Amino acid sequence: MATITLEDRNKRTMLFGFGMALAMLGMGYAAVPLYNLFCRVTGFGGTTQVASESDAALAEQFAASAGGVSYSIRFDANTARNMPWEFKPVQVTDTVAIGQRDMAFYTARNNSDAPITGTATFNVEPEQAGRYFNKIQCFCFTEQTLQPGEEIRMPVLYYVDPAALDDPNMKGVEQITLSYTFHRADQDPS
Amino acid sequence: MESIETMNFGAFARKKLNFLALFVLAALSLGALPYGAMAQEGAADPDAVAVEESAAEAPAFDYYGPEMIKGQPVGAEEDFVESMTFQPQFTDNGDYALWMHDAILMPIITVISLFVLGLLLWVVVRYNKRSNKVASRTSHNTLIEVIWTVIPVLILVVIAVPSITLLARQYQSPPEDALTIKANGYQWYWGYEYVDNGGFEVVSNMLSEEAALDAGEPHQLAVDNRMVVPVGVPIRIQTFGADVIHSFGIPSLWFKLDAVPGRINEKMLTITEPGIYYGQCMELCGARHGYMPIAIEARPLDEFNAWVQSQPGGMTRAQIEAQNAAPAVQDAESAEDAAEAGDTEAVEEAEAAEAAAEAA
Amino acid sequence: MATTAEGFDAHHEDHAHDHADHKPGFFARWFMSTNHKDIGTLYLIFAIIAGIVGGAISGAMRVELAQPGLQYLGTFVDMLGGDGTSFDQQGHMWNVLITAHGLIMVFFMVMPAMIGGFGNWFVPLMIGAPDMAFPRMNNISFWLTVAGFCSLLFSMFVPGGTGMGAGVGWTVYAPLSTSGSVGPAVDFAIFALHLAGAGSILGATNFITTIFNMRAPGMTLHKMPLFVWSVLVTAFLLLLALPVLAAAITMLLTDRNFGTTFFDPAGGGDPVLYQHLFWFFGHPEVYIMILPGFGMISQIVATFSKKPVFGYLGMAYAMVAIGVVGFIVWAHHMYTVGLDVNTKMYFTAATMVIAVPTGIKIFSWIATMWGGSIEFKSPMVWAMGFIFLFTVGGVTGVVLANGGIDDNLHDTYYVVAHFHYVLSLGAVTSMFAGWYYWFPKMFGRWHSEFLAHLHFWVFFVGVNVIFFPMHFLGLQGMARRYPDYTPAFAYWNEIATIGYMIMAVSIVIFFVNILYAIFFGKKPEANYWGEGATTLEWSLSSPPPFHQFETLPVIEEHHSADDHISPKPANA
Repeated sequence: MATITLEDRNKRTMLFGFGMALAMLGMGYAAVPLYNLFCRVTGFGGTTQVASESDAALAEQFAASAGGVSYSIRFDANTARNMPWEFKPVQVTDTVAIGQRDMAFYTARNNSDAPITGTATFNVEPEQAGRYFNKIQCFCFTEQTLQPGEEIRMPVLYYVDPAALDDPNMKGVEQITLSYTFHRADQDPS
Repeated sequence: MESIETMNFGAFARKKLNFLALFVLAALSLGALPYGAMAQEGAADPDAVAVEESAAEAPAFDYYGPEMIKGQPVGAEEDFVESMTFQPQFTDNGDYALWMHDAILMPIITVISLFVLGLLLWVVVRYNKRSNKVASRTSHNTLIEVIWTVIPVLILVVIAVPSITLLARQYQSPPEDALTIKANGYQWYWGYEYVDNGGFEVVSNMLSEEAALDAGEPHQLAVDNRMVVPVGVPIRIQTFGADVIHSFGIPSLWFKLDAVPGRINEKMLTITEPGIYYGQCMELCGARHGYMPIAIEARPLDEFNAWVQSQPGGMTRAQIEAQNAAPAVQDAESAEDAAEAGDTEAVEEAEAAEAAAEAA
Repeated sequence: MATTAEGFDAHHEDHAHDHADHKPGFFARWFMSTNHKDIGTLYLIFAIIAGIVGGAISGAMRVELAQPGLQYLGTFVDMLGGDGTSFDQQGHMWNVLITAHGLIMVFFMVMPAMIGGFGNWFVPLMIGAPDMAFPRMNNISFWLTVAGFCSLLFSMFVPGGTGMGAGVGWTVYAPLSTSGSVGPAVDFAIFALHLAGAGSILGATNFITTIFNMRAPGMTLHKMPLFVWSVLVTAFLLLLALPVLAAAITMLLTDRNFGTTFFDPAGGGDPVLYQHLFWFFGHPEVYIMILPGFGMISQIVATFSKKPVFGYLGMAYAMVAIGVVGFIVWAHHMYTVGLDVNTKMYFTAATMVIAVPTGIKIFSWIATMWGGSIEFKSPMVWAMGFIFLFTVGGVTGVVLANGGIDDNLHDTYYVVAHFHYVLSLGAVTSMFAGWYYWFPKMFGRWHSEFLAHLHFWVFFVGVNVIFFPMHFLGLQGMARRYPDYTPAFAYWNEIATIGYMIMAVSIVIFFVNILYAIFFGKKPEANYWGEGATTLEWSLSSPPPFHQFETLPVIEEHHSADDHISPKPANA
């Protein structure tokens, strides 16, 4: 107080206040990538993991010691309301040994009279399975374009991480649902 | 405004257009249904020719009448006390939650409120200006401050134990063979997709006031096509929002799960008694948020199976298993199928995956 | 700038006058005001106007809900220039009403009255400062709030999807607020929040600076009146919470207009993230609305019990604790959105923890009265009403905190009853308590104590008749935000509407009391509540001079937190 005037002190406090507000504004925006990252790392909300071939090979070795535990996998398909595709899994359910790679297929058909590009969002249920559900390949990694009337089969290559066996939250989980939703990528708010 | 709604519905209708032929066939075969069959859109598997035949032979299904309504709100004129409490519960978790509310929470909050009211009244009587001319200057008492910190903590612990137990029970994972039904929220109706029974979708719209009264059901809650489910077996309910967020809530089953666009949510539901249970959309979803009720009809398993067979493309799980046992689909075969279809992209991906699998 | 180090006499320099009561002309005084008391008065008037609008909207909702079926919505649609026969437009109208009621009451009634009105008026007076730290910024804060209100009202007259206005709820959830609402209405509503939020952030900075730097000599933080403490905690909550809302709604705006996909799954966004961001703001926001009320109740209870506040430090730090814990419980508003079990258990436990500091406050107020010599003047009656009503609202909060129980009660009228008990009956009751406590101080005229008591009793009966039956409706499963319902819900809805009419009568009494004060009110003395009123505003005349504390008051060693104006004891 002796050396700095009240006016200066006030300005300092004001700048401190505005700084805090700005930092929180930044946090608000940072929340978007951070939430995304958080979901991908922890599987929060049933976010699946992306694995490389070497991860998968490693998981398979681990699984050898797990002793033949298997999960039932359910395949779910949805389309957004403005998406004129018929999209469904080839098989509704499948059984896969833990750590074992498996491939599932979905089919999509463009029922409209115009080419449409779609992009898929995904999650698994129950949500705690997200961090153990690894995809090596997925049609959801890229956009898909279908010509009018065109139908394609789309593969997903995945495995369930044997680490799931050590997670108490995974106790009692017998079936994991892998869900996809196709949205129009060329979103036109018409 | 209006045009958007029709546009969306138009798009939705277009999506289903290629099933029109199948739909007409199914509708004709189901002409004997009491009501509502015409409004249903069958999204059946087009490969399954056998299904159509079985549907054609299906008997008409006899839906429950209003005497089977079990989960609905009660008016004060009907039962004054009931109208102030939770609806009776028809799930085990609901019973537990209801017990927790009635036996633990309600007594605690009532006692706390009355205790505070009593203290206030006592203060009014004892420490008003006339009764107590000279105010004390007491402003600290460590003991009493510790007491009123510790006792609420203990009360909260008493509440927390059943609360955590309840959560753990509600989050029990459904067994592998739980019947899966999807509740899809649309602006502004529900679609119930029976993915384990051939994938048909029952579209459920609210009945008009006159139609509801004719059927003897409460209006604003009655629907044209109910969500028929088996009683006593675990059901895996999966919710999905096609446009905006909806919420699938049934008070008498202690069940509420949001239907969010772009993802599914899942929860297990086991209904203990046959009957009709009403619910409503519980998340603001636009102009007709208040007009997309839910009606669940819980039937014994054999009656449920009969209902499934009465639906276009509906198959019981036994039928599906029998069908699948004949031609088992292999991954390698499907890659060949894709090649035949001339879809290079999928083939490349599938082949790459196969190569990877071989390499490992 | 307005304040300098040498003295708090900047206004002298500005106006080249040294008379404490010199006032500028009408326009300069009320439209370019830099005086904290004038701005406080402006905020109070603004809050009353917004309260009338918001209250009228709730009246429109209550008459519609009085019986099953749609009776009046079509008329409202016609009034706004729509097609009253269109079913969708009627449903949309309902959503516009609930949205406007929520936003107006939160952002343009409670916040301006509590923080802008009473905060502006009494924070400088209670800490012995001549004015706020940044008087002109104070003015900007107010007019930004007014502009926000205009933007919100304007939104009701432009298309918003299925009808005129923004029908998205005060929570503005995506994707209903993005792809689900075409037309500029939602943009204007979002812009209203931006303006009000910017005003509040400026105001919060102003309060923090004022409280930190401009306390009278000797007034340490631990000698500050609890009302000042409450505003300080509130200001920090505003500063930390509102920017997150600003970020979230700005993302909504760009999602709507510029093709971003923050909350649109089609582009990799997540609508649930919006809810996380909104409630990260939204939960502290409910404490923003109630904490200044806590502060006022503490002052009032101590004054009329003629006792120091019981457990002053516990009271102050309980508010800090409530503020801190308020930031880590947000997802209890999202129990049904699809959270995993561990998340839900955490938020259940964290939420229940808040009951502890809240309980400390309730019991400390009662302990303050205990042993007192209580005078039941109108502010005290309002304060005691507050304590009881807030307790009732608080215990239903403990019920709702349980994630498993909330599975049934989420988005039902039980929730509506709960938050109206803590806000409409809690926050609003505390504001009326503060109003009657300080009305003669602010305006230099006595209100009628009889009418103030009458106002209380009619209001107390009215709001309880409105909101208590809503608990029953919620337990029975009646969903929120429904314009129509099945006939089983009719009875309690009708009761609630009758309660609204009773409450409306009490508001008439409130205005009659203001008229009484204007025409018949006697002039109050400086400390009209007598020996119990010990904070610095009671050392000033009623109304206080236009510029107060030209000589700063000094808080001496023997003064305690509860006693800033007593003369030095003879033996000291």
